[in-house]
Amino acid sequence: VTPGVDRGLTGRQPKAVQSALAVLEEVARAGAGVTAKEVAEELGLPPATTYRLLNLLVGEEFLVRLPDLHGFALGRKAASLAGGPGLLQVPTAVREVVAEIRGRVRHGVHLVLVAGTTLHPADTDPDHPLRSPELLQRHLHASAVGKVLLADAPDWRDVVHPRRLQALTARTVTRGADLEAELRLVRARGCAVQGGQLHEDVSCAAVPVRSPAGVLVGVLAVSAAGADPGPCAAAAATLGDPAVRLGPLLG
Amino acid sequence: MSERTPVDLLPSRSPVAGLRRRGLTFAEVLAQSVSALAPSAAMVTVPAIVLVQAGAATLPGLVAATVLVLLVGWCLTHFARRMAAVGGTYSYTAKGLGPVGALFGGWALAVGYGAVSMSALVGAALYLAGLVGLGTSPPVVAATAAVVGLAVVVTTVRGIQLSARVALALEVLSVGLVAAVLVVLLLSPRGGTGATAVVDAAVRPEGLAFAVVLGVTAFMGFESATTLGVEARRPLVAVPRAVLWTPAVAGVLVVLAAAAQVVLLRRAPLDVLTGPVPVGELADREGLAVLGRLLDAGIAASFTACVTGSTNALSRVLFTMGREGVLPRALGRTHPAFDTPHVALGVVLPAVVGVPVVALLTGARPRPVLTATLTVSAFGYVVAYVLACLAVPLFLRRIGELTRGALVAGTAAGVLWTLGLVAALLAAPGRGAGAASAAFLASLVPAVAWVVLLRVRAPGRLAAVGLYDSPTPASVAPGQRARARRGGGR
Repeated sequence: VTPGVDRGLTGRQPKAVQSALAVLEEVARAGAGVTAKEVAEELGLPPATTYRLLNLLVGEEFLVRLPDLHGFALGRKAASLAGGPGLLQVPTAVREVVAEIRGRVRHGVHLVLVAGTTLHPADTDPDHPLRSPELLQRHLHASAVGKVLLADAPDWRDVVHPRRLQALTARTVTRGADLEAELRLVRARGCAVQGGQLHEDVSCAAVPVRSPAGVLVGVLAVSAAGADPGPCAAAAATLGDPAVRLGPLLG
Repeated sequence: MSERTPVDLLPSRSPVAGLRRRGLTFAEVLAQSVSALAPSAAMVTVPAIVLVQAGAATLPGLVAATVLVLLVGWCLTHFARRMAAVGGTYSYTAKGLGPVGALFGGWALAVGYGAVSMSALVGAALYLAGLVGLGTSPPVVAATAAVVGLAVVVTTVRGIQLSARVALALEVLSVGLVAAVLVVLLLSPRGGTGATAVVDAAVRPEGLAFAVVLGVTAFMGFESATTLGVEARRPLVAVPRAVLWTPAVAGVLVVLAAAAQVVLLRRAPLDVLTGPVPVGELADREGLAVLGRLLDAGIAASFTACVTGSTNALSRVLFTMGREGVLPRALGRTHPAFDTPHVALGVVLPAVVGVPVVALLTGARPRPVLTATLTVSAFGYVVAYVLACLAVPLFLRRIGELTRGALVAGTAAGVLWTLGLVAALLAAPGRGAGAASAAFLASLVPAVAWVVLLRVRAPGRLAAVGLYDSPTPASVAPGQRARARRGGGR
């Protein structure tokens, strides 16, 4: 055991990377609450190595050490891994609810799924496609969908770095305090609205979809051309009921 | 799937919520530990004192002290990689020794942080007042201390990030100044023989022991990054790293500074060694008075950063105790806008500023106040370290992750540091520090009363001891199964 263990692994240590992935996999397989000793026994790894790898994965937030301090569970970063694009199956019942909204709303209607701290545009409007799903996923502070996710986090600074709020347009919120105030508003209204913050000429509004247990599982969003968020906000006001219906279907 | 998983039982909110989460970079976390340690003040004051007593044993003694501190640091990383604490070694101790051991350790830690804040405040005021030519009479130093104290109040309440950055800047400035002064003095051509008789005195066991014990005190505060569990980004990585890097870097700095001073003092007159800062004295005599002033500025900066760092750490220990309910709950409140434990700071800072100011105004000389409070704080730190190190093997055994290395390190650190503490307590009266060791022992009396009172009147509150930034549902992946029962079917 050396004090330098938390300096991480280099690419020249394939064995260590394999072992770390095996540890991650074992925690996922065994279930929440599995102990370090059980992981070591199951994998046949030396205990000290296992403890070191577990601490490393906890430090990087792929795993979480539960409050009893001896059980482990998958962390939110592991959830982000699991929900990669293409892996998410959207149930037909969900697609039907979204299609029903599209029938009565004149703007683009999108369902974005939430896995951990990542967004997955799962059912985007074929008639009004998202301009850039990549930007949506990368810049959570600039889109209405991202703001719903950030407002749900216990502290948004855990998710995006407060000093890396990139200005995508002149309207993008780039100051931590301003974003904080916006998120407070999102929580109070149960709806996020933005105009021209991600793309100059697109506005968007979004409402959270929660599982019956209250966990944020998706975001329902309306997008429209123009920097004035008014029309989107008006359309989003009618999304409350569909969001409630989607919750049990997704979580 | 109807069974409740451990994930379902997570509290919806961290028990130490309210502090600004995950804002500090690694450099800022490191700054907390480095500032509480005050390396530049240690670089110029400690080697000279050790040299007088230990002669040629100085360098080996300081290296041994660095190793001993690194041993404690390594022990603390076992906790720091596993829990994001706000109460520092107090919270760590709770996980190994239980609430009673933790309360004693926490009390000692609070005495350590509190006393060193007072000491550093007097130090900062002393050097600042000297620097701007106000003289060093007690009332002047008291007034300067009050001004410095006010500045510290503003930065610590305003936010941890601000105070960490200020501390980092002050430390970089002061270490740079001290290093520059030492290099210039080393390069200035000068012959002659000086205090070689003292500097190169033969190695004696008691000299070596003195060098180790005093050397160790130069590192006190290195663990204070352990109070930033909530405020650091990636705390389970940054905090253990800071706890190991701080003593390693400070050890190199102190040993190098000592080596430079050995060379310098070899060619200096003997009486230079009797002053508080021989390097400054030497600069003055070489006609380089400006270097002496620079050195004073560096020391003042380092002491100021130390007040900030130590009060930040102390306030977070008291904040944790407030949240647990073993101290008044109000201490656990945080400022709505700045997210700092402003109530705890509001209790701590008047005491830290008030005690030395009153002592000075009632006629105490600044330097004895500085050394007495420093001695008291050293005792406090050592008790806290000993308990935390002894807690390591117990904690790891409880969670089923004990390794041979941790068992040996924790036990060795606990035993060695206890020996050092006993030796220092026994030797203190002969070295004029009897009052300080008596004051420290007296300061433990309220701790006993506090623990007994809690045990008798509110045993339920003891169970809460050991709160840390534990995970919430938001930090785990949703929809996980519970672990299958061992031996049973799935």
